[in-house]
Amino acid sequence: MSAQRVRVTAGAGRPGAPTRGIALPGTPVDDAEAAYARALRRSQLRLAVGTVLGFVTVAAVLLAVLALVPELDEIALLGVPLSWLLHAFGFYPVIAGFAILYVRGANRNERRWRALRDEEA
Amino acid sequence: MNALLDLVAVAAVVGATVLIGAYGLRISRTTSDFFVASRTVRPVWNASAISGEYLSAGTFLGLSGLVLLSGAEGFWFPIGYAAGYLLVLLFVAAPLRRSGAYTIPDFIEARLESRASRRVTSAACLLIGWLYIVPQLHGAGITLQVVADVPPWVGAVLVAVLVAAATAAGGMRAITYVQAFQYWLKLTALLVPAVLIVFAVSGGAREIDPLVVFPAEAGPSGLDAYAAGSLLLALLLGTMGLPHVLVRFYTSPTGGSARRTTVLVIVMVSAFYAVSSVIGLLARVVAPDLAQPGVADTVALVLPARVFPGLAGELLTALVVAGAFAAFLATSAGLTVSLAGVVSQDVFSGSVRSFRLSAVLVALVPLAIALLTQPAGLVASVGVVFVFAASALSPVLLLSIWWSRLTARGAVAGMVTGAVACGLAFVVHAAVGGVGVAAPLLAQPAAWTIPLATVVTVVVSLTDRAGAPVRAADYLARLHTPGRG
Repeated sequence: MSAQRVRVTAGAGRPGAPTRGIALPGTPVDDAEAAYARALRRSQLRLAVGTVLGFVTVAAVLLAVLALVPELDEIALLGVPLSWLLHAFGFYPVIAGFAILYVRGANRNERRWRALRDEEA
Repeated sequence: MNALLDLVAVAAVVGATVLIGAYGLRISRTTSDFFVASRTVRPVWNASAISGEYLSAGTFLGLSGLVLLSGAEGFWFPIGYAAGYLLVLLFVAAPLRRSGAYTIPDFIEARLESRASRRVTSAACLLIGWLYIVPQLHGAGITLQVVADVPPWVGAVLVAVLVAAATAAGGMRAITYVQAFQYWLKLTALLVPAVLIVFAVSGGAREIDPLVVFPAEAGPSGLDAYAAGSLLLALLLGTMGLPHVLVRFYTSPTGGSARRTTVLVIVMVSAFYAVSSVIGLLARVVAPDLAQPGVADTVALVLPARVFPGLAGELLTALVVAGAFAAFLATSAGLTVSLAGVVSQDVFSGSVRSFRLSAVLVALVPLAIALLTQPAGLVASVGVVFVFAASALSPVLLLSIWWSRLTARGAVAGMVTGAVACGLAFVVHAAVGGVGVAAPLLAQPAAWTIPLATVVTVVVSLTDRAGAPVRAADYLARLHTPGRG
């Protein structure tokens, strides 16, 4: 993470108050815990943004196929063109798939955080 | 159509709602019961309730009407609604559950340590909620008009009165059970007719010419990239800005269970949208003559009787009518509960008595609006609410969960900018219809209002001399770390 200047105000400082990575003497355990919490937040954000990008990519590919492959208009299933069927029903499995992937990843991040914290304690 | 059967179906839904609500009344005792069902609702029940509340008149009647009217373009709405829940899951569900707040304004106030930002958030929530209840009341009016030939105000008044009474009586505990029941009712009410009509149409003598019924220019390949993209952005981000969606996560016991609940919700609403899309496709086959603005929204009600003459069709119609009423009741009830929570805490003392009073007040305003305005397309009216929520609330909500340097001034500036930009775009578009290049930007403003609100929030926060709240880092740590144990 980048180094940041932090305003330190009197009165706000109970022991273990957030210091944004600048170590204050006397509270090593709390500092470590704050750093772990920050690391967890960052990894969850990375996971969430990655999942969004993955979803958008897959959805865009599906959309491009629908728009650029005219043959899909000609194949009909029960009288309905395949392109219409894909548009109507094709996106939901993608959404659900990414949701499940994300939850597994988020739980893994939290397990890792727990392991780190317990090691420290 | 058999008006008596349909009215019996409406009465049955209303009766079941009152009974389940009364059961909830018996077990709601404390303030916490009223607001968030004491946080003990199981994921499956909670997911059913969230889905029940989320599936509104817009998707129950409006989706099939839109597919009939304008073709595959209509599918974007349910896809966007479902994907909106994906974003709720990724960015909002678990952290907000851990915040421990009752409503979005509560959360914003605790996070930013500012009463002013709370007031602005409350105002935005109220506006979004009211805008969203109006199409539900219109839907109820249209439905009763079609099935029983009564003036549209009857349906609107009926739903508003019921919702105010049920909310005031039982609070969220009662509403949770009512809505869980209504999800399954809504799914059944479309699934049974959809399956039967598919069999009848595919086995019958009806000859479908795909080129006539599903022309390529109304299909997925004929879409307008800017309009579709802007709409999708609004639907994706708008979901998390709806007041009744967020308050539901407070009823999950932990952050982890809030996540599991959200995945279930995605699966449940997707199942419903798939069935509703089937009805839309069938409508193009069976009832192309109804493809006119204003009439198209009633196609789901009319379809069963078209395919099955006689008693079978009448029974199926009654089932669809029951499901439609469940849709109006569930969404307006969910909104009324969350808005009543906001009003009772902001204007009154936050007690159970003030919650009851607020529920009645909150339901009266959209009723007045609904009675004074003409119903437009149901899906389009709901779409406007999503654009507004995505512009006014979502950027600030996301930044408050993930960005520690957000300040109260930045949040207020962002919310006001988003709301005003989006409101102006719609007003100007309605007044002059847009001019040349600007027309699509005014009709679908989300693609520029959301980035604008985000940039304003960030810039004002960074230049705010007061700096970020002192406890911001502590607060974020609490949002993103699971509880001890």
